[in-house]
Amino acid sequence: MTDPVLEFAHVSITAPGADGPRTLVHDCTLQVAPGEVLGLVGESGSGKTMSVRAVAGLLPDGFTVEGAIRIDGQDISELPAKRLRDIRARRLGMVFQTPRAHLNPLRTIGDFMTEALVTVAGESADAAARRAMELLAEVGIPDPERRMRQRPGDLSGGLLQRVMIAATLAMDPPILLADEITTALDVTTQEEVMAVLADLRRTRQLAVLFITHDLALAAAVCDRVAVMQDGRIVETLSASTMRADAREPYTQRLLSAVLPADLLSGQTAAEPILVVDGLQKTFHVRSARGGRREVFVAVDDVGFALAPGGSLGIVGESGSGKSTTARIICGLESADAGTVSVKGEDWTTPARSARGRRQRARIAQMVFQDPYLSLDRRQTVRQCLTEAVAVHRRSASRAELRARVDELLASVRLDPTLADRRPRSLSGGQRQRVAIARALAADPEILVLDEAVSALDVTTQVEILTLLDAIRRDTGVALLMISHDLAAVRRLCDQVVVMRSGRIVEHGPIADVLDDPQAEYTRLLLDSIPREGWVPRRRIPARVSVPDDSTGAASGSSTSAPITALEGDR
Amino acid sequence: MSIGQLAGGRISPVARRVAQRDPLFIAAGVVMAAIVLLAVLGPLLTPYDPNQLYVGPVLSPPSVVHLMGTDDLGRDILSRVLAGGAASVFGPVVVVVLSTVLGSTVAILSAWYGGWVDAVLTRITEVVFAIPGLVLAILAVSMFGKGLIAPVLALSIAYLPVVSRLVRAGARSELGKPYMAALRIQGVGSLAISFRHLLPALLPAILAQSTIGFGYAMLDLAAISFLGLGAQPPTSDWGVMISSGQPSLLNGAPEQSLFPALLVVLTVLSVNILGARVTAWAERADA
Repeated sequence: MTDPVLEFAHVSITAPGADGPRTLVHDCTLQVAPGEVLGLVGESGSGKTMSVRAVAGLLPDGFTVEGAIRIDGQDISELPAKRLRDIRARRLGMVFQTPRAHLNPLRTIGDFMTEALVTVAGESADAAARRAMELLAEVGIPDPERRMRQRPGDLSGGLLQRVMIAATLAMDPPILLADEITTALDVTTQEEVMAVLADLRRTRQLAVLFITHDLALAAAVCDRVAVMQDGRIVETLSASTMRADAREPYTQRLLSAVLPADLLSGQTAAEPILVVDGLQKTFHVRSARGGRREVFVAVDDVGFALAPGGSLGIVGESGSGKSTTARIICGLESADAGTVSVKGEDWTTPARSARGRRQRARIAQMVFQDPYLSLDRRQTVRQCLTEAVAVHRRSASRAELRARVDELLASVRLDPTLADRRPRSLSGGQRQRVAIARALAADPEILVLDEAVSALDVTTQVEILTLLDAIRRDTGVALLMISHDLAAVRRLCDQVVVMRSGRIVEHGPIADVLDDPQAEYTRLLLDSIPREGWVPRRRIPARVSVPDDSTGAASGSSTSAPITALEGDR
Repeated sequence: MSIGQLAGGRISPVARRVAQRDPLFIAAGVVMAAIVLLAVLGPLLTPYDPNQLYVGPVLSPPSVVHLMGTDDLGRDILSRVLAGGAASVFGPVVVVVLSTVLGSTVAILSAWYGGWVDAVLTRITEVVFAIPGLVLAILAVSMFGKGLIAPVLALSIAYLPVVSRLVRAGARSELGKPYMAALRIQGVGSLAISFRHLLPALLPAILAQSTIGFGYAMLDLAAISFLGLGAQPPTSDWGVMISSGQPSLLNGAPEQSLFPALLVVLTVLSVNILGARVTAWAERADA
């Protein structure tokens, strides 16, 4: 192995706290060589992000680092501040989970791309612009000239993430720190971004520290994988033989948590509880420049039915209209055309009166993607659940409310001692349990899950999916599951609807659709799931030539032309 | 081991501040408490009748007999400062309370209903915004007569748009968050959402704005009195005292203006320091 460009030698990171300092990372040792992708895998809170933040100098105030972090063999703690800043600017590139949050919405992509070139490298504005366009082309962004003039709001998440990668490449750094860069992306977009990364690593000999909680993804794209638990690296494995070599119980747990693609429950045939027919919704979007109004068709002639106690998955990428459909059903949006009928009643427009809303609340409830945002951060778990119960039981006594809340906590297998905590002191899985308990407070007959497990770690995902499955069996609640994650949908649903650009492209029993997809788009979605032997492919050919090799990952393998439309700007 | 640990982590933010020896906070708290006490109990503590002329020599400097000296009419300045405290401190409080309550109501209605309700309310507040508070107050006085009531009401109206703009922006962003959608889906009523969820979320911003508003209100009311449109002589009011002390100031006897002016500055300063700290706690409780 060549000399590592990035090295951690017995690094510990300590955070200050009201109850004394807490050590978040213990004695972490790892090396990344040029051209190597090292995966750092673990659940959230395991210390992955703090480790990369320490390299980039982005630790919050008061955090202390012990041990040595070396860039090109130099201990960064020994360098004077100015020199360190220079090294970080030139030697390190960092890409984050949420590109949108890291880009100034008021400045153009061009401004963003050329900033470092002009201020750090001292290039002229023209030269910087030319270089920026080359970089955008290199990461496979079509029509870079136009993109340079656009603002972050005009670009999709996948394109923005590629802009972020291109921008970090501006200084030609040998090290790339990638922190959960595809977690917020759809599977197809994830594949694109990973393919770009694979190309860059080959052409530029980039050393990549790749942080993810997705073990399947890490196994597919990394050379080696370091597994982190509670701030310690428990083992480092070769990605290709990881399954066979894993010794640590934690690694095995992570591996087994990768959703098995089986499970299938029987069909249900009864009068549907929910019927959606010819649903249509358009949004008028003011375009960034000139204030011209553009029409965006979010939902176009969507129809399906859900049986009582049944389970239907709606899958598709973001922007496919699946969330809008769910929001219309729950009365958060009104449809432009079509009907929603629930138990024979018309639900097409949101309930106007508070009484109407309460009545509907007893039938349909929703669980949102991010429980941290969907819970009021000021309320304790008990306050939150008591409120949800009290809405429907106005005459209930304190003792009755209390008993019902305890019952709800038990039904989502949540430790009652957590009842007095607020969302910020709960884990992601615990928060989502609270959100589910709240949705169950009204004893609903339909539970709409809007990407309810997408933001969770894999192990937590399995727990929550198992819980939902149990709840469905116990209470007979019908599930409408909105997700981009096909494995999660397969785990929970009998029927599936595949949506793309507001339309239904395929629907049917889950096994039929996923095992024998008829629509090309369904096949594409299935292909994009990271698995053993998976090689991310670019659907959009890169402009610059990439040396082709046996993996077929380069531009030459882009076969399916119609898919290019996937990356249209929204 | 910190005091926080001894108390099992369950201590109030005030106690923690004191424990952490935040001298600015402690000083501001003590000064504020003293001023409020003075405003409430002041009239009972006056050593002389505040309006009694020539209780001592004219323009005497501070002495044992007259702790703050006497003014140009031989009145005891300390007695007048104590007697005028109530109007000077509680006037701005009324302005802040009225403008905050009205402004927040307008803002929340605006953000909640959107559409034409929002458009109409926003336009109206913008018109009010365009009129300087002082001008509005002077207008009110010329219409309703001199005294404190007219300027206090006028300033409350004048400050309303400042509050409503801020609260409307905050309310719009808060209403767009997923937990608001979650509450609606649960069937929670509009009033419950507003009072139990929306207002607490906006509290840090409202608190911060109120303390700044208090400072402005106190200075504006003092200025109105200074112009002779607020509290009328011989009523003692800090603003009036500053104003009527002007000639004496030029004659080398600053006490008449100095002491009330000092109290105005101290009050505004302490309120702002306390406000900043309280806002910071409210924010931290949110994080």
